[in-house]
Amino acid sequence: MDRMRTAALLTRLMEELRNNESWCGETHVQKVAFFAQELTGIPMNFDFILYKHGPFSFDLRDEITSLRADGLVKLETQWLYGPRLLPTERSQYVQGLYPKTLKKYEKKIEFVTQWLGDKGVVDLERIGTAFYISKCENKKVSVDERATRLTALKPHISREDALKAVQTVDEIVAQVQNQTP
Amino acid sequence: MKNIHEIRDPIHVFIRLDSDERKVLDSHPFQRLRHIHQLAMTYLAYPGATHKRFEHSLGVMELASRVFDVVTNLDNVTDEIRDLLKPLKAPDQIAYWRRVIRMAALCHDIGHLPFSHAAEQELLPEGWDHEKLTREIIRSDEMKTIWDSVTPPLRHEDIEKLAVGPKKATDLEFTDWETILAEIIVGDAFGVDRMDYLLRDSHHIGVAYGKFDHYRLIDTLRILPPAQLGENGEYQEPALGVEEGGIQSAEALMLARYFMYSQVYFHPVRRIYDIHLLDFLKKWLDHGFFATDLESHLRLTDNEITAALWKAAFEENEKGHTHARRIIRREHFKTLYQWNPNDVSINRDSGESVFKALKAEFGAEHFRHDRYLQKSGAPDFPVRMRDSRIVSSLAFSQALSNLPVVSVDYVFADRSCIDEVSKWLDENRDTIIQPEKEE
Repeated sequence: MDRMRTAALLTRLMEELRNNESWCGETHVQKVAFFAQELTGIPMNFDFILYKHGPFSFDLRDEITSLRADGLVKLETQWLYGPRLLPTERSQYVQGLYPKTLKKYEKKIEFVTQWLGDKGVVDLERIGTAFYISKCENKKVSVDERATRLTALKPHISREDALKAVQTVDEIVAQVQNQTP
Repeated sequence: MKNIHEIRDPIHVFIRLDSDERKVLDSHPFQRLRHIHQLAMTYLAYPGATHKRFEHSLGVMELASRVFDVVTNLDNVTDEIRDLLKPLKAPDQIAYWRRVIRMAALCHDIGHLPFSHAAEQELLPEGWDHEKLTREIIRSDEMKTIWDSVTPPLRHEDIEKLAVGPKKATDLEFTDWETILAEIIVGDAFGVDRMDYLLRDSHHIGVAYGKFDHYRLIDTLRILPPAQLGENGEYQEPALGVEEGGIQSAEALMLARYFMYSQVYFHPVRRIYDIHLLDFLKKWLDHGFFATDLESHLRLTDNEITAALWKAAFEENEKGHTHARRIIRREHFKTLYQWNPNDVSINRDSGESVFKALKAEFGAEHFRHDRYLQKSGAPDFPVRMRDSRIVSSLAFSQALSNLPVVSVDYVFADRSCIDEVSKWLDENRDTIIQPEKEE
């Protein structure tokens, strides 16, 4: 996917996140883009690794910086917390160039942003990491084993929360497999 | 026998090494860095830029241990952070990781190609970069002998992790502790690799842009929880941050980075020389690629390339003659088009569109395109205020939240046709940069 279309999709994703009550900081966008790409199959070609607060893509981070450089996204700061990402009016012009692309992935964007929009960074880290672990396993690994792995990787996550996160991921993966969003 | 060795340094005055570190210094891979320019051919634009990776690597080691000592000092660590990062409670672990971080800092650039960063993606086979070569050297027999001779022995995987960080060691798992230590060396915000090169490059080049109060900054660095706690106040992964008193020094670092990138590292003459060097190397190297076996890699330095450039520049039958001549005789291409906010508001890839149109109209051999996007995010790190609250740096500092992003998009043209081409571009620019719209 070229940079202009990626910009159209990412800025639409941010808009939808904000419409769904998300804080829409970079951590939120990173995790939701991870699910959008790896769960629903939007081909944005970002490489994700397990890093800060779960799955993280350095390519996506650079792309967000590039969107800022090009005036398509700006930072909106609020006292105490990290900044929110706000698509600018100029992003509407870019989105307007690619109606077919946006139409093609509209339902997928709606699905991930409605599911994850109201979640905070702690929840996103848990379920993002749980999904990353589940995806990395070639064979069927039990909920229990994956939760153990999650707490080993992220010691600040409790076992109870890890179990819940893996179960949530299994439910959502089954839902996506049963009905393409 | 002397156990501590001192080296004079223009930035840090004295750099001290112990005898184990001296073994790394004396190793063949590290000595090779004496012959790798820190800033490639920047000396053709800024004559003072002749310093090498060798002294930079020593500087990174010096700064890495200064930061390590500050952030692991128990007076600077809260109970919550100590509970999250277990090595902080174990003095033997602290001693081990201090040795690892110094060795990793020494070795962090050990895999660089001749002339450092010049277009390594195009000059190495797929899947290779200088960080991968760095890791190969760290785990080579010569270096492993050194790691094994230390008491206690150092695990080469630990040195690899801290030397290249999680982005370039995706096959290795990083604990939170290891992530923070890697951040000390290669981190976006407070990585000492960047601190040293900003200070060192500005010193040698003779510009003041890169200078900042690194003494104050390092003294106020802390391992902190992020500003945005969980909904129920849960702790999350800690990160490198700064005390409120260090925020101005942190701002100065970020501004130094911005000015050095916009004024020095992305100077168009520096960029076009890198491109001409790339063109030359593609012709000169066997099959157009650098070898990735360590023996060949370690034999090749800037010296051999410079000798080849001189020879090729004056002998028409030599491989890469045209490109070598452009460098040696200073007949480099000139800037024809560059990034500007108006064009980019119409088309994010306006430079690419201009480049394609020029190639189609006048022929590919007359033009080169150079696009570079800043490889880091906004400088968002935790700041501990005097009342102990944690706040995002971007909420606290207007200087940081309004820091511009550096963006480069140059099209260069052969000076023999630049007048004709410029005229044509002026007449056609508005049409050329229009993006295609989906129907």
